[in-house]
Amino acid sequence: MASLLLGKVPGRLFSSLKTTKETHTEMSKNYYEFTYIINPVLEEDKFKETVDKVNKLIEDNGGEIEEVDEWGLRPFAYEMDSKGNGFYVNMYFTAPGEAIAEIERQLRIDDNVMRYLTLKYDAKMLRHRELQKKNEVPDIFAIEDEEDNEEDDD
Amino acid sequence: MIKNPSHPKKNQRKVKQCKFTRAGLEYIDYKDTETLQRFTNDQGKILPRRVTGTSARHQRQLTIAVKRARFLGLMPYVADNLR
Repeated sequence: MASLLLGKVPGRLFSSLKTTKETHTEMSKNYYEFTYIINPVLEEDKFKETVDKVNKLIEDNGGEIEEVDEWGLRPFAYEMDSKGNGFYVNMYFTAPGEAIAEIERQLRIDDNVMRYLTLKYDAKMLRHRELQKKNEVPDIFAIEDEEDNEEDDD
Repeated sequence: MIKNPSHPKKNQRKVKQCKFTRAGLEYIDYKDTETLQRFTNDQGKILPRRVTGTSARHQRQLTIAVKRARFLGLMPYVADNLR
């Protein structure tokens, strides 16, 4: 019965359905931005060790790291786990979606990592990222109140 | 006020416009705390749209960006200013 029904589906439509499914499995790698905070009450070499560990963790789960940016020790805007500052690391990578669950699970266990934030980039964010790389992000305060001098005639 | 040509405040009328739309920004980055700070008051609260003139779309993005920044300790949840 099922085959009969399938036979009635126009060939063109059926094949197009098939291809979209295929491309979906191929496109399963996404672009991610990942920021985490390392516990500041550690020795200098421990920071490096944790960063290497996270990088390895991502690569082991089929991710490709694009950029790692260590912001270093920064003060918090509020007290977090009775600490005043933390070691920030911001990074960008591509990885399959399933890898994220594993990476986050590992970091939740890790006592050295205080907090993390994973963002999956959509088309708009990717375009913004391209601008960021070229250093062409528009400054929203560049055009400061120039309509003050404008006269409206109505 | 708009229709009356002799109204004293006629030329002072300021048209509010969304700064993000004007700059053509598509995504508001939580890391850009300097910009985000301009849209919060000194207590750390997000300013309403009626004050800043931000478009609805960008206000939603702004809210998300501020909350992300707060989670990572880049911006305060509450800032106690001296009374």
